[in-house]
Amino acid sequence: MPITSGTINMMEYLLQGSVLDSALESLLHRLRGLCDNMEPETFTDHELVFLLKGQQGNPFILRARRSLSHPTAPWHLRYLGQPEVGDKSRHALVRNCVDVAASHSLPDFLNEMGFRMDHEFVTSGHIFRKGAMKVVVCNVSRVLVPGNTENTERMSLSHLVELSVLAPAGQDTMSEDMRSFAEQLKPLIHLEKIDPSKQRH
Amino acid sequence: QPSKLLYVMHNSEVPLSCMALFEGGPCLTADTNFDVLMVKLKSHFQNAKGHKVECRGSRYRYCDFLIKVGTVTMSSSARGISAEVWPEFDIRDCWNLMREFIQSFLGNNVPELPTVFAAKPEGLFAPADCVDTMTQYLELFNKLRKLQIPGSNVR
Repeated sequence: MPITSGTINMMEYLLQGSVLDSALESLLHRLRGLCDNMEPETFTDHELVFLLKGQQGNPFILRARRSLSHPTAPWHLRYLGQPEVGDKSRHALVRNCVDVAASHSLPDFLNEMGFRMDHEFVTSGHIFRKGAMKVVVCNVSRVLVPGNTENTERMSLSHLVELSVLAPAGQDTMSEDMRSFAEQLKPLIHLEKIDPSKQRH
Repeated sequence: QPSKLLYVMHNSEVPLSCMALFEGGPCLTADTNFDVLMVKLKSHFQNAKGHKVECRGSRYRYCDFLIKVGTVTMSSSARGISAEVWPEFDIRDCWNLMREFIQSFLGNNVPELPTVFAAKPEGLFAPADCVDTMTQYLELFNKLRKLQIPGSNVR
């Protein structure tokens, strides 16, 4: 049955920053101390960003991600909505988020739906957790030949750091918790609210 | 580009999944959040509400067979009756046994080996998965949708 009402609308709260590779170890050391897990999880993922151009307005963007370290795991499809405009004092970027686990036919299926791949990249790093918060520290590499994940090139000499929480709509206490956690990481890294519209096409 | 039909299907045997298919094209198996995603995509994909087909009924277990008998309805008008038979093993290996079993209650109305299985590579154990089931249901539902006279014999 198509879901119309009563669905839990999940929101992603996000803060981002970056560290030079030379500061990476110090950051990982600090995070190991502050966060829940004994040993952080490492990952290597391949993400493809698909666009569906409509008659009017901005193209519809979907992100399809698969694990290169666990090749049989399902694909992860993600939709991220426009950032919620509102309370300027809100500390984190807030946007609607829909996550779907999908079978390996996902890229072919998206093409059949009319989506076209805009760009792809490989990302590899560590995941830490603290309660509901997730911290991802990763490097991003561009894929030189489409579809070939063996041959990649680092995009920069820094690592991207993302602090995020997924929560049902209306739980505004999240951004406060995130802000106080981010304080503990200063001055190693400054995590801030980034405006994604300034980075898009 | 001519418009394509995207079918989104659900099966109570796999309640946490959602199948999306293009007839004769790729099929996606996803979790039920796919329905939420389709709502977000409503400006790109129009929902043809009047075409929804539903099949409801009972499921029975007889030794190694699972039999599901349902009534197929399209916008509250009954269009037909479906029977789904599931053996525990590779359908092509036990097709003869299945035919005998189906004959015992359907008489001479035994269908041929469904085309989804005829296409599979020989000699490999290829368990029937929800994609094969949904492809067959889609074929059946489309035949029933096109019927001018509800109740005509369609297999």
